[in-house]
Amino acid sequence: MTAEIVVENVSFVYPDGTHALADVDLQIPRGHRIAIVGQNGSGKSTLVRHFNGLLRPTTGRILLDGLDTVGVHVAHLASRVGLAFQNPDRQIFAGRVKAEVAFGPRNIGMAQVEVEQAVYAALEAVGLTGQADTNPYDLGYSRRKLLALASVLAMRTPIVLLDEPTTGQDARGVARVQKIVSDLADTGRTVIGISHDMRFVAESFERVVVMRAGRIILDGTPSEVFARESWDALASTYLEPPLPARIGVRAGVGSTPTDALLVEALSQRKVAAS
Amino acid sequence: MVTATAASAGIGRRMVPFALATIPLVASIILINTFLFPGATDTIVSIGPLAPTWTGLTAAAQATLRVLAFALSVAVFSLTTPTDDLLTDLERRGVGRRAVFVIGAAIGMVPRLVERAGEIVDSQRARGLDTEGARWRRVRGVVPLAAPMISSALTEVEERTLALEARAFSAPPRRTTMRPLPDDSQQRALRWGLLVFVVVAVAASVSGALGIP
Repeated sequence: MTAEIVVENVSFVYPDGTHALADVDLQIPRGHRIAIVGQNGSGKSTLVRHFNGLLRPTTGRILLDGLDTVGVHVAHLASRVGLAFQNPDRQIFAGRVKAEVAFGPRNIGMAQVEVEQAVYAALEAVGLTGQADTNPYDLGYSRRKLLALASVLAMRTPIVLLDEPTTGQDARGVARVQKIVSDLADTGRTVIGISHDMRFVAESFERVVVMRAGRIILDGTPSEVFARESWDALASTYLEPPLPARIGVRAGVGSTPTDALLVEALSQRKVAAS
Repeated sequence: MVTATAASAGIGRRMVPFALATIPLVASIILINTFLFPGATDTIVSIGPLAPTWTGLTAAAQATLRVLAFALSVAVFSLTTPTDDLLTDLERRGVGRRAVFVIGAAIGMVPRLVERAGEIVDSQRARGLDTEGARWRRVRGVVPLAAPMISSALTEVEERTLALEARAFSAPPRRTTMRPLPDDSQQRALRWGLLVFVVVAVAASVSGALGIP
């Protein structure tokens, strides 16, 4: 499978001299679900902001379907790469929920009928269908966060970047975000998530990239990244494997980063023992 | 006096951006006064319909000096006085806690607003808002950029007020001072000297001794 996003030897230095990325190489095939994790300041957000042109590499290059993003306006890249920011209050401005969600689709020139369809589909996906005419500021934080997510889903971009989508969400909200990630992948869209929630990462993504000090230190499936051999590397960037992974190691059934994998491994051992 | 103070503080080079920032204002002052000073007849030279006057040029020079003196005074103050020192000293001298907080919050808010503005611009650009294209397109983006800025600032004020009250901001006892101020005899002497200079300069100006109209 050819890579949809290619990061070639990218380094990035902020104007204040902070070295945020150092020689990062990464290939993300179309339709993949990939999580980028690491401690604060490890370069996760800086990296994904290169994908839609908000940041440009100091050295190296980013290719989207073979197209070098250098010189391409963010407004143009926005129709290919949607980015849901961590803080919804940095983007909400409209007086009604549906107008907020329609903002992105209108900017990228979607037809009016399609905009309406996209808005209601996105609101349904995040569970805000009944709030279409509500003022966004009358929603609680977790719902404003879902609104911000809907405003990006409605743009129907082939690549969706989610920056800490589960922050502030209760279990129901996390489950909803997990379903959104799964549904996006089912429609062939590439989903890239940044998260500190290792359980969400293990449950929702097929590949995990771990960053530390602007470099990639681990890259593999959740079972590989959360396996016992990787724990020291995870600890070096202040991450802990999800609880099922730790239980699996304690129980001696191998790497089991999700509840389902843990239950399956324990069942197999029981069957084998009997 | 301002430039001498800046030189003695070793911040001469850092004053340059402040001086350059006055160029648009100074340019307009010079143009308007030199060419449009009301009632002036002492023409320097006639260039078609334009007739710059000596009176206008003199008035422009005076106004420019005032603008520069003001801008560079602000520059000297901001470059030599750490905000924390200013606030601590104000409080030590009996300025009300609320007034000190308002001054500190106003000064401290500037870099935060700049940072927040950057995040808002990034958020809207990521949703296809064109901030680099034609002027009418950029005008269309004013509301999406300004509204989150204002609403988040208001929200922050409310949250901060509650957080302050929760930490006994309005409690009656005088607050414990944790920060000793670096203030030696030279600084005190210079402050008194500057105060005397200001009083003498104002008196001379009011009495007409300086010959400034």
